Amino acid sequence: MASITLPHEARQAAEVIRRADIVIGIPSYNNGRTIGRVVQAAYAGLAKYFPQFTSVVINSDGGSTDNTREAVLSARLEDQHLLLLNTPLFAAHRLSFPYHGVPGKGSAFRLIFQLAARLEAKAVAVVDSDLRSITPEWFDLLLRPVLFAGYDFVAPYYHRHKYDGTITNSIVYPLTRALYGYRVRQPIGGEFGLSTRLINRYLQRDDWETDVARFGIDIWMTTIALAEGFRVCQSFLGAKLHDAKDPSSDLTAMLEQVVGSVLMLMQEYESVWWDREGSRPVELFGFRYDVGLDPIEVHVERMLAAFVRGCRDLGEIWAVALEPETYAGIQALGRQAAAGVRDFHFDDELWARVVLDFACAYNKHRVAGGHLIRSLTPLYLARVASFVGETRTLVPDQVEDKIEQLCLAFERLKPYLKAHWDGPGARNRGSRKPERAATPRPGSEVTGND
Amino acid sequence: MINTLREILEAALDRLHHQVTTYLPSTLAAVILLLVAYALATAARWFIYRVFKGMTIDKFLRQSGVAFLLDRSGRLRATRLVAETVYWAILIGGFLIAVSAFDTQLTNQMVEGFVLLLPKLVVAGLILLAGAWLSQYLGRSMLVWAVNENLPSPRRLAAALRIIIMFVAVVVAADQLSFARNVFLAAFIILVGGAVLAVSLAVGIAGSQGLRRLIEERKEQRESEGERSLWTHL
Repeated sequence: MASITLPHEARQAAEVIRRADIVIGIPSYNNGRTIGRVVQAAYAGLAKYFPQFTSVVINSDGGSTDNTREAVLSARLEDQHLLLLNTPLFAAHRLSFPYHGVPGKGSAFRLIFQLAARLEAKAVAVVDSDLRSITPEWFDLLLRPVLFAGYDFVAPYYHRHKYDGTITNSIVYPLTRALYGYRVRQPIGGEFGLSTRLINRYLQRDDWETDVARFGIDIWMTTIALAEGFRVCQSFLGAKLHDAKDPSSDLTAMLEQVVGSVLMLMQEYESVWWDREGSRPVELFGFRYDVGLDPIEVHVERMLAAFVRGCRDLGEIWAVALEPETYAGIQALGRQAAAGVRDFHFDDELWARVVLDFACAYNKHRVAGGHLIRSLTPLYLARVASFVGETRTLVPDQVEDKIEQLCLAFERLKPYLKAHWDGPGARNRGSRKPERAATPRPGSEVTGND
Repeated sequence: MINTLREILEAALDRLHHQVTTYLPSTLAAVILLLVAYALATAARWFIYRVFKGMTIDKFLRQSGVAFLLDRSGRLRATRLVAETVYWAILIGGFLIAVSAFDTQLTNQMVEGFVLLLPKLVVAGLILLAGAWLSQYLGRSMLVWAVNENLPSPRRLAAALRIIIMFVAVVVAADQLSFARNVFLAAFIILVGGAVLAVSLAVGIAGSQGLRRLIEERKEQRESEGERSLWTHL
């Protein structure tokens, strides 16, 4: 078990509060503009939906230089003029601490989970601090399946703009689905509901100091829940609107942390995904409705220019990482992009092969892991450029169909992945049972749809 | 006349006889030793291929990237590495013993010199290997970073870095072997000094405008990216 070292002031606070049924965790870094509203939503959600529970709102801050922590501690529920039918039996506590260790969302979550374990919380919800569309209902949707239906992990399900969440749509969702066989639509959404059992499992692990400490935390949490057989469901939260936290200048680091975590876990859970075929839906709670989304502008030309640069200069890495057929396909695409072809098209199957080849190369250590994943950036941008071009005139349902087609391409190529994967599973070639099978059971008190 | 000729022939035959009786047994012994060494080396290699697994070394070779550095296919395994090392060590050992069978001043000096040089050769080889690994690793880091940061001529930057690192490794290895120490050191100082001077002049005279333009372009690019605040990748 990883050593648990709570900061002194957090330990003191835990000793004063002693127990809490619900913990709401909000990681932050310079989110003074939005975090007050998130805390208000948390307070309102707790008062409205869980008045009978003791609860704590914990802000785990990465050393903000704005007024983030002051905004957390000064946010008041009265400001919202809520009509509450039940008077909360217990006032929710609020805490704000700076976390220690590697700067990043994962380290912030670690402090929240440690405190939740210390307070023996029955359920934990974590939400991002830059949300503009959060409502009190989100906390009900994230916590109720854990508190009343025995789920361990509640993933978010949102409506997002078709160009939003492109790492999710083009890599993480299709790959996670093809590997572990469950259709968790937003595996790195950022808002989750968690049970004590799962929190304790997370805290037992010793890989908190890896990319998990940063953007890798979301996929790490989702993958562990799926691979180790915890009960998983999704809750429909409406629209996700949030402040920019990932301009393109950070793209490579973000891609490295997220994809690096996916591939690291892929190695660890090889015995789990090896024999899984196809995919099944994961129960979805909440009333689904359509929402309007802000328009998003993207610069396709800039992405294609990055791809052309990659084709010109990264050949020595791609030639090692990719299978010869895949690499030939990429070179042909590069020539098209360089020639300025109007309808640039990055085929689903070719993209799936690229991602799977990179996974195999990572596993075989053909190229240093960091170099390999960072060299994926131009390919990823080309795929996004193609996706933007192909979906420019499509409505959300049609876009979702496109993503579904990509997921099916990943699932079809699983034998290809197994054929090129080099590991105990590939060497044994035998059919082995997964260590634990994730088999979500239907909810009891919560109504499911989908 | 005939007597003189006979004496010369007899002297030549005596010398030949002396040389044959002196060196032939040594040569035969050397050949036999070489054959025995070859047989031993082959047997040892065969045995190691069948017995030695070395999975920990395999893991190190793969994870460090040395496997792909030494063998482009990446199929280098510890078994092969150990078997080939033992094979060549036995062959070289056999060769040295075979040479020492002649027991002359020259051969003794050769053997002694080689034995003294061997550790240095091994260290120099390891330095070159480390240099090759480091140059590949840092060269690729530079390449990927330069491509993603949209810097001009990423491959040239990476190649320059690789050359510098390999050159440093060669200088250190040569120093280890005490081989043309001053020549390499002087070349190294001239190269590094020249490179620093060239870069300083280029940046100072010709590059300042370009650098300013590049920084401004990148700033504008970042600002324009910041404007599309809703596009997120995650």
